[in-house]
Amino acid sequence: MPLNREALEKYAFERIDFEDEYDVLKTDCDIIEFLLDNCEITLEKENYFFVNVNCKNVLNKVYMTRFKKYSLDRFDKSLMPGREVFAYTGYADLGHTNVKWEDVISLGIYGLKNRIISYSEKYSTDDKKQRFYSNTLRVYEAALRFIKRASKKAYECGKNEMAINLEFLSENSPSTLYQAMQTSIIYYTLQQLFEGTHLRTLGRLDTIFYPFYDKTKKEETYKLLKEFFWEIDRFCATANIPFALGGTNTNGMSKINELSYMILDTYMNENTSNIKMHLLCSKNTEDDIIKQALGSVRLGKNSIVFMSDEKVIESLVKIKAERDDATNYHVVGCYECGADGEITCSCNARVNLPKALEYALTGGIDIVSGEKIGLDKKYELTSFENLCLEFTHQLEYLCNCAIRSTDYYEESYKNVHAAPIMSATYTSALEKGGDLYCDYSAKYNNSSLNALGLATAVDSLCAIQKLVFEDETYSLDEFVNILKSNWDNNEPLRLLIKNKFPKFGTANKKVDKIAQNIVNVLSNLINGRPNKKGGIYRLGLFSIDWRWEFGEKLGASADGRKKGEPISQNTSATFGADKEGATSHLISVASLDTSNTPNGTIIDIDLHSSAVQGENGLNALISSLKTYFELGGFAVHYNVLDTNVLKDAKLNPEKYPNLQVRLCGWNVLFSTLSDKEKDEFIARSVR
Amino acid sequence: MKGLISGIKRMEIHDGDGLRTTVFFKGCPLKCIWCHNPESISTKKQVAFFKNKCIGCNICGGKKTEETAQKCPSDAIVLYGTEYEEKELCEVLIKDKLFFEKSGGGVTLSGGECLMQGEFAVNLAKELYKKGISVYIDTCGFVKQDIFKKIIPYTDKFLYDIKAINPDVHKKYTGCDNKIILENLKFLLENNCNIEIRYPLVTNYNDKECKHIGKFLKDLKGISKVKVLKYHPFAASRYDALNMECTMPDTETTNSDVENAVQTLKKYGLNAVNGAVED
Repeated sequence: MPLNREALEKYAFERIDFEDEYDVLKTDCDIIEFLLDNCEITLEKENYFFVNVNCKNVLNKVYMTRFKKYSLDRFDKSLMPGREVFAYTGYADLGHTNVKWEDVISLGIYGLKNRIISYSEKYSTDDKKQRFYSNTLRVYEAALRFIKRASKKAYECGKNEMAINLEFLSENSPSTLYQAMQTSIIYYTLQQLFEGTHLRTLGRLDTIFYPFYDKTKKEETYKLLKEFFWEIDRFCATANIPFALGGTNTNGMSKINELSYMILDTYMNENTSNIKMHLLCSKNTEDDIIKQALGSVRLGKNSIVFMSDEKVIESLVKIKAERDDATNYHVVGCYECGADGEITCSCNARVNLPKALEYALTGGIDIVSGEKIGLDKKYELTSFENLCLEFTHQLEYLCNCAIRSTDYYEESYKNVHAAPIMSATYTSALEKGGDLYCDYSAKYNNSSLNALGLATAVDSLCAIQKLVFEDETYSLDEFVNILKSNWDNNEPLRLLIKNKFPKFGTANKKVDKIAQNIVNVLSNLINGRPNKKGGIYRLGLFSIDWRWEFGEKLGASADGRKKGEPISQNTSATFGADKEGATSHLISVASLDTSNTPNGTIIDIDLHSSAVQGENGLNALISSLKTYFELGGFAVHYNVLDTNVLKDAKLNPEKYPNLQVRLCGWNVLFSTLSDKEKDEFIARSVR
Repeated sequence: MKGLISGIKRMEIHDGDGLRTTVFFKGCPLKCIWCHNPESISTKKQVAFFKNKCIGCNICGGKKTEETAQKCPSDAIVLYGTEYEEKELCEVLIKDKLFFEKSGGGVTLSGGECLMQGEFAVNLAKELYKKGISVYIDTCGFVKQDIFKKIIPYTDKFLYDIKAINPDVHKKYTGCDNKIILENLKFLLENNCNIEIRYPLVTNYNDKECKHIGKFLKDLKGISKVKVLKYHPFAASRYDALNMECTMPDTETTNSDVENAVQTLKKYGLNAVNGAVED
């Protein structure tokens, strides 16, 4: 008799504590096995491949509670004030994962189970490994029982196709495209809903489904793809579920195939709102698929990010991923990439770049809270060069704090979370006979730090350089007092700086140089720095919607930003500062050495729909993309916005139920945004 | 020598093929009532004042001058007209060279009438040509033939405006006779220049000229395309800011007006396209 949610939670919450620290694997396997055997299975009319269950987030609650217990108790309290004002943050990241999808789809759950058995036989005398195999194996056996139970339910509901195939998959590896898709959804359900380790990509769908594609059954394939997307959409995953198309093999040849076009076609035609796409582009990627994708973006399908294969691979190789692993990378979230076999933890630590500048100006005193968060001044601020040195000095300190903060969490994984389902897809975990999280058994056990607000920091440095050190209009003390007063009685000065001073994103070489230097400093501080898991930290430059909270407790900044306003988004220019147009914006961002940002660099290009209309408009988009990548760009995302449509949609949301915009790293329905966010999009669309 | 420029726009897709950087020259011999670049009509520098942007800081002391335009924090006072040497301007215009190469784009000289500053335009075109940049000339055609002769070797395409064939209609709406314009068009065609005709369609003003334009162009050889441009009365605030009387007709050209004109022109065997769709 299946159990209700309350009963499932009761079983799980009784197991938050366990006897010794090595018991987390056994305990979590107990919980997952229990959930698989006892969860309630339901089926909706729409379900085409798989069933629904009532245990979403049960394990997430368990490990969140354990985190509180094992990391927060030991947490260095001196790090708290800096976190509270968002000078830095640092957390665990049990999401942003990737699995070896090729293996999952070719073996199926049944095949994965057998693979555990063969490893168990291979290392039959190693007790420690046996412990991992036996625990993992019973979870996979429970998963197969669960699939059988789902099959039975499908029969009861008259879903015979689903039922027959589920029954088949409980005893075999997939052999048809339907079964391959079904396996994808089953696996997603197992890892995401049962194990609670957030799975942040469905993989390179064109590559993994291609072996199952029958060229003579095009129409049927289209139908399956359509159902597949809607089934995925119904998971309503936070920040969307990504999938990828394209990429290259190790010889640099494009991996685009016939199915790539069909998948893109389907994705374009279905108005799903919880799925996002990454097109992995190289110089050998076929023009027509890029054209098709950009054509789709132009029609308002904004949820496509274009990644530069060359740059991503280079950045991963630089942090010592083997070339094959780097080539077979996956985008494990919005823009961040992980090598094959890598745990990225791409959203661990964050550093507020404009805050580092604030502390450089105030000797570590936080303007908004008045607290001492940063360091005492080390350099006399008598020249711009010294200001830059002081900024670096404070920045290094904030990075250290962010990393220390993260380390507290990451040291706790062995007490907090086991991922048997996910671990069985990593050959390194099977080889080592250990869990990915409790035993750090991934080939690469990495962590990340993202630096936020690059453009805000760069524009602010430039403003001080001009106003204080070049034009000498104000002394530094006078100007800092103006910032402390939030531009009180200085609106003309604020506007002058905002409208007429040099800015990042205008292809101004002097300004871009400052940005490049900051990225190089960060790279030296972060990339390759050891973490607590036997791996290293990776630098990223994306902000997503964290830029709102990071701006909220930041005093007025020298670039003309008022106290509390959000900082710049991702690696892009400050909104409105890209006055020289998109090409200059692209040139500025591409001038950064993004081979040093393995955790991702992203530029958001907002274009008015009239600027990209017609055949020439589409060609313009394609050539801007290719030029950007040729210049060394990492990833780009286009938002094609129409001011009138957005204004009307704000007033009459019911007229535009499907209007989507890209919030930062994911898509949202425009109607679901706050008025503040809607207004920002409207302002961005006016060019 | 120096030229006077009213503005530069990058990543432009409406002024020729590929991604282009368009440079707007100051000064125009025509006075089209529907002109949407009023800041480019006068040959002199102009200071515009956008009242709605003024924050009342009084840094300008109430004076709207070239100097106060530099200081105005809110961009309420704007200077139209910046002087450039040819080489200096060329450097600015080729910043997007890589984008031009990828897209088959380049630089478009526009205005105003770019060839009114004939010698400067020729020097600039030559400078760009030397650097391998594609040069398009957007012209109203009311220019001394001699200037065309000089610029032909450095021009990849002329975007040539035809507003009306009937001289009275032309004079009424542009202030000028069109005899020179039509003759220059023939001259360029005789010299095997690549020509794209642009017909700005202003409903109730020059829409009846469509068939005359079709008739006139059908006998001319070598016209690659005739693009019908839709009229928008969007520049009224700039007329106001420049303290100029706004002459823009309060009329709407609809998409179907443009489509009808395209169909009419096609009947004359011309490769006519809708500027809003097929850029």
